[in-house]
Amino acid sequence: MEKAKISTSQLFIVMILFQLSNSLLIPLAMRAGRDSWLAILIATAISIFLFFIYRALYLYYPSLLLTDYTEKLIGKVLGRTLAFLYILFFLYSAARVLREFGVMLLSFAFPETPLFVASALMILVVIYTIYKGIEVVARTGELLFVVMLMLAFFLFLLIAISGLIDISNLRPTLEDSPKILKTVFTETLYVPFGEIIVFTMIFPYLNQAKKLKKTAVAAISITGVALAFTTILNISVLGVPLIERSLFPLLTTIQSIEVGEFLERLDVIFILALIIGGFFKVAVYTYCALIGTASLFNIKEPSKLAYPLGITVLFTSMVIASNYSQHIEEGLNAFPIYVQLPFQIILPVFLLFIAFIKNRKK
Amino acid sequence: MSRKWIIPFFMAACLPFLSGCWSSIELKELAIVSAYALDKKEDGTYVGTFQLINPMNVPGALQGGASGQNPSIATYTATGDNPLEVADRASTIVSRDLYFAHTSLLVISEELAREEGLSSILDAMERGIEFRTTTKIVISRDVKAGEFVQVLTAIDQVPAEKAIKSLEFTEELYGENIATNLQKFINAAVSTGKEPLVSGFSVEGDIEKAKTMEQLQSSDGSATIKVNGMGVFKEGKLVNWIDGEKSEGTLWVLDQIRQAPVNIDWENHEDAISYKVVRQKTNVATKIKDGKPAISVHIRAEGDLRVIEVPVDITNPHVLFRIEGALQQKIQAEAKAAIEVAQKTKTDIFGFGEKLHHSEPKVWQQFEKEWQDVYFPALDVDVTVEAFIRRTGMRNNPYLFDLNKKSE
Repeated sequence: MEKAKISTSQLFIVMILFQLSNSLLIPLAMRAGRDSWLAILIATAISIFLFFIYRALYLYYPSLLLTDYTEKLIGKVLGRTLAFLYILFFLYSAARVLREFGVMLLSFAFPETPLFVASALMILVVIYTIYKGIEVVARTGELLFVVMLMLAFFLFLLIAISGLIDISNLRPTLEDSPKILKTVFTETLYVPFGEIIVFTMIFPYLNQAKKLKKTAVAAISITGVALAFTTILNISVLGVPLIERSLFPLLTTIQSIEVGEFLERLDVIFILALIIGGFFKVAVYTYCALIGTASLFNIKEPSKLAYPLGITVLFTSMVIASNYSQHIEEGLNAFPIYVQLPFQIILPVFLLFIAFIKNRKK
Repeated sequence: MSRKWIIPFFMAACLPFLSGCWSSIELKELAIVSAYALDKKEDGTYVGTFQLINPMNVPGALQGGASGQNPSIATYTATGDNPLEVADRASTIVSRDLYFAHTSLLVISEELAREEGLSSILDAMERGIEFRTTTKIVISRDVKAGEFVQVLTAIDQVPAEKAIKSLEFTEELYGENIATNLQKFINAAVSTGKEPLVSGFSVEGDIEKAKTMEQLQSSDGSATIKVNGMGVFKEGKLVNWIDGEKSEGTLWVLDQIRQAPVNIDWENHEDAISYKVVRQKTNVATKIKDGKPAISVHIRAEGDLRVIEVPVDITNPHVLFRIEGALQQKIQAEAKAAIEVAQKTKTDIFGFGEKLHHSEPKVWQQFEKEWQDVYFPALDVDVTVEAFIRRTGMRNNPYLFDLNKKSE
């Protein structure tokens, strides 16, 4: 762990940007069709419970990282193995986000640029940021958050003015309620909400531990509402069939804007949101892998790990899938159930259970 | 290399990537396509005609709007097996890269729309990066799509712009048309409870002359582009045309009327009173009656009297009520006629099915599959109209009233 502190407002911003990131851009919870926004809201509510599990673990060891207290809880060999697996999980998640970022950028803005170049440029920036440490990541967040807020406001204003919103696209609601719950538990709960598991690596840096609960709950709820709102906007502008065919619904919504015959072709808003979001999620994931590795292997200067880990993420992102359809297929059907469910929910609950028993003995 | 050189080295190494020149294209290597027209040849291949903007001849602001000696557009024709191949072939003829991001009009010939439909064409447009889904679609009626985009226009330098403007004006002023873009078309085409409508265009006059500068050198031109009816699509294919009053009726039901005029007969005088709609709202309600769907359409219109060609005492509110009653009957008849035509062709252009899906999602499932062919044609539609005359222009009684008094 490096010697650094972040404030509650910084944590709040980092959490929001981290969760919004790619979730804002890809079709979220679309298996629930018209009711996807409901699925998002339900997932938000459940993820607040998840946060309380992570927080309970943090309260047992307020100065330790997730990868440190696994050793204390389940023994040296098992604990260190688990910590190592968590680091791999963070690296893989970072690689997935980087791949999504690269593909989005290429598929509509730079069709002739190789994926490797776009990803490499992004990872260079990420490497530089995490080399500087968590404080710099948090301060970058503060800066970018203002940009994101302005973009969101501008975008909503334009969509409202151009008269594209057709609320009747949202009806009928609750056409298939079991499907909503199924979507929540197979998909939406893990991306983006369950991903806050990485913050167990960041909570110890907080300067006012008492305010953690308020800050994080506010950040999670605001993210949930923002995502649900974006989904409502997309559905009411585009209609469900078109969203299901779109790789990036928000982009299609932005492209539909035509105000006064000159405010149109506003794709640049999407590119900005894409770069800010992609940068942030990759940076946070890689940073958590970095401090985890540093503490697991007792490396005195964690920042030296920035280059090797960054390049690992870059190459992993290149080899995880041969095309985007395969990438999405894995992201929807395999990754949530076989990787995210155990790492985000089952293992933390198990660790909490052990922590509870161990501390009761004392 | 010493350590202090590493960072400058990295920064220098990034420079070639960061300049953003990777796939840059110079402006002079681009040909901006303003309209894309597709026809079909007998052997099944597509013939694409591209209306390219000729930047040298479009007068800029600095030139004070004086038009050049040459046409402001150039058109090129190429053939191919799909829209993309056509565009690629055309690029080789034009010797520039065709740039589609500013294409505002997609013209499909009537023949192609009828025989093959649009389903196989539009995917290329929707999938492509440059092509916008806000591009308007029109059908060229009784004329080849390729010839349609070759006609020069006088006041608007770019014919594609002129076509879109006249489309929007007829939509707004006459309520006889509808501007459909790619996105709306595809959304309606994939929906089980709705079918798309696309405006038709025709060319009146001598097309061959209209392609040359002769067209612009006379005040009336050799040929004019005209909006002409709305094409009804079913399963992606053009099946029917709606013209005149029927198209107005269609737009009444679709809640798309903005300023349409309504003429009514008065005491044996044909079209004696003209009414201009200012505000309009159509509500469509669905209900299930004896296990069968029923639709009630309620139209509410507000407007002014604009032309009165018979002596009517409009200072008398009772007379105004009678005029309102006549207006209601007229609008109701138009709307009903439009619905009947749609039922006859078995195409739910009004989206009644979609409305039913919204309000009765459970019942909809049993109708969904056979909606267009069985349930929609047999649908019980009830049309009610409320028309209000709010003002009568700058005068009350027409001067004809006084003329009549004089002659008595």
